[in-house]
Amino acid sequence: MLVAIETTLIYTFLLGSLYLLVSLGFSLICGVLRIFHLGYAYIFTATIYFTWMFMSLFGWGLIPSIAAMLVIQAGIAIAIYKGLIVRYIKREEIIILGLLFVAIILEQSALRFYPIQAGVYLETTMVPGLSKIGQVTVSNQLIFAAILGIVVTGLFVLFFLKTKLGLAVRAISYDIYSSRLMGIQVERVFMFIMVLVLIPVILATLAIAPIWAVEPSMGWGYMIIAILVSVLGGLGNIRGTIIASYIIGFCNSVVGFVIAQPLYMGLSALIVVLIMLIVRPQGIAKSETVW
Amino acid sequence: MELEVKRDRLVLRAGGGKWEWHIEPRYWRNPLIYVSILIIAPVVVYFVYPSLLATVIDANLLAAIAIPLALMSIGTGRMNFGPQFYIGIGGYAAALLSIHFGLNPALTLIAAALAGIVFGFIMSPLSIIAGGLYYSLLTLLLPLLFLEVTFIFSDLFKGDTGLSGIAPLVSTGSFSLNLLIYAFISLAMMLFYLFIIDKIFRSRYAVQMAAINDDEEVANGIGVNVNKTKIISFIIPAMMVAIVGWFYAHYYGAFSGQTYLPLSFMLKVFMVTMIGGRTQIYGCIIGGYFIAFLEMILIRTTGGMSPVLFPVILLALLLVLPEGLFGLYRKHHYREYMPTLRFRR
Repeated sequence: MLVAIETTLIYTFLLGSLYLLVSLGFSLICGVLRIFHLGYAYIFTATIYFTWMFMSLFGWGLIPSIAAMLVIQAGIAIAIYKGLIVRYIKREEIIILGLLFVAIILEQSALRFYPIQAGVYLETTMVPGLSKIGQVTVSNQLIFAAILGIVVTGLFVLFFLKTKLGLAVRAISYDIYSSRLMGIQVERVFMFIMVLVLIPVILATLAIAPIWAVEPSMGWGYMIIAILVSVLGGLGNIRGTIIASYIIGFCNSVVGFVIAQPLYMGLSALIVVLIMLIVRPQGIAKSETVW
Repeated sequence: MELEVKRDRLVLRAGGGKWEWHIEPRYWRNPLIYVSILIIAPVVVYFVYPSLLATVIDANLLAAIAIPLALMSIGTGRMNFGPQFYIGIGGYAAALLSIHFGLNPALTLIAAALAGIVFGFIMSPLSIIAGGLYYSLLTLLLPLLFLEVTFIFSDLFKGDTGLSGIAPLVSTGSFSLNLLIYAFISLAMMLFYLFIIDKIFRSRYAVQMAAINDDEEVANGIGVNVNKTKIISFIIPAMMVAIVGWFYAHYYGAFSGQTYLPLSFMLKVFMVTMIGGRTQIYGCIIGGYFIAFLEMILIRTTGGMSPVLFPVILLALLLVLPEGLFGLYRKHHYREYMPTLRFRR
């Protein structure tokens, strides 16, 4: 019994923090731009495969390859914003389908040029080895990813609360029209957010790359987690996202590690979200503002 | 009972009811021409290039999914991003009953339709409790989680390999003739869906749906039973799409969730509605044929690059033709009001 409680607590912390890192960007886009970024899955795939492309094609080291990948990712995010979101802001169905197409095009391109048998692998291990916490043995890299999740979220919260730009983001998420009247350059802030949300996703992908499976369609699974967390937390609210991440983390740790039925993890999370929606349709926190 | 012949219509009065049929050529000439082309095309293809029949069937089935989806989108005022969930429901119901209980296709059709109704009924409250954004996200997740379930219960659903050994719908001994018959069955199903939904869209229920689509609170205020309309416009299309799943299962003799449940299939269905003309039911036929033939041509000409090129071309078309191909036609031939989807945040 004690081991079960210990396992639940540890994995709730580890998975919850990781889910937080994965979902933060999706939630922010929902909260600030008020759109579904259903192309969110491409960021995970692009992180791995662009880095690998620079390493294998040009023979660059890991750090320069990551830097080049960051530039490309920022370029794609700006292109998506200017080419799709700005042009079709009143036609959300086109934005959603367009974003999904972007994700599928990148996934299929990765699959075409680097199929699974190509053995894509990024050595981004920061803390090698295993640790024993009580009766539970966990990967140090997973602990590092979890701590990274908390630190990055903390920095994001500080940014939103303590900086002028963060205040502008909060104002836009609350009322876009009044923000314009107050002189906030909404379009610039939107573009900034599109690039900013890349950071937690890229960090999460690089942190888990050495310990979890890497393949072109990996992004969809993480995007589903991000959607569940965001819906449960209240679309676009970071407080809600934090709580929801740990609820989903708790649910998955019980199902996956205590009951030992990892196949049921996704299903159980959806059931939790559906129940929550029935009880509280707006999610844990109202999505009126990002914080 | 009284039958009156007017200049442009026949009017039948019986009891307290009144039924009208347009007889003036402008009302039925164009539909007749288009339906005739759709009927003649498979026969021509059968004699000229029989292997194209498979593409014709695909086109009919894509349109047969997109047409009910248009009704569901307009009736609920929300975009269901998981229509393939009901293909899975219908397909698996038909496949499991055919394989394990040896039921013939007529009985599995009833079972698939019932499964569609039951799951449609269970899921329909989502259109009431979940707002636009939440609804779209949750419907997007449903088929993906169903796919997961097919892997969890692999003994039953054979999630990894798919179910095979389903009784065929048609078995004449000739492969090409089988395809021709399948093409006609799929065409009949698609035209039947078109006829039914066209009737709904021309009835007073369409006005209620349009009101819901524009503003639910106002619709409620003017006396529309919003919840009832939403649930009905959810369940009927769910049943129709489940029947398409039934057809897939008996047509291929095998059914795998991996083929129909992922997002790539959903995108194909959505592009049928978008390229066709933003939930315009007639446009769904144009969209269905366009998408099916485009995919076939790309596979035959570009081989391994087609999975990349296909979404690239669809994305370009989505951006270039925001009102779809049917939108180009309607721009010059705007006649009557038909409700279209108004996407709400």
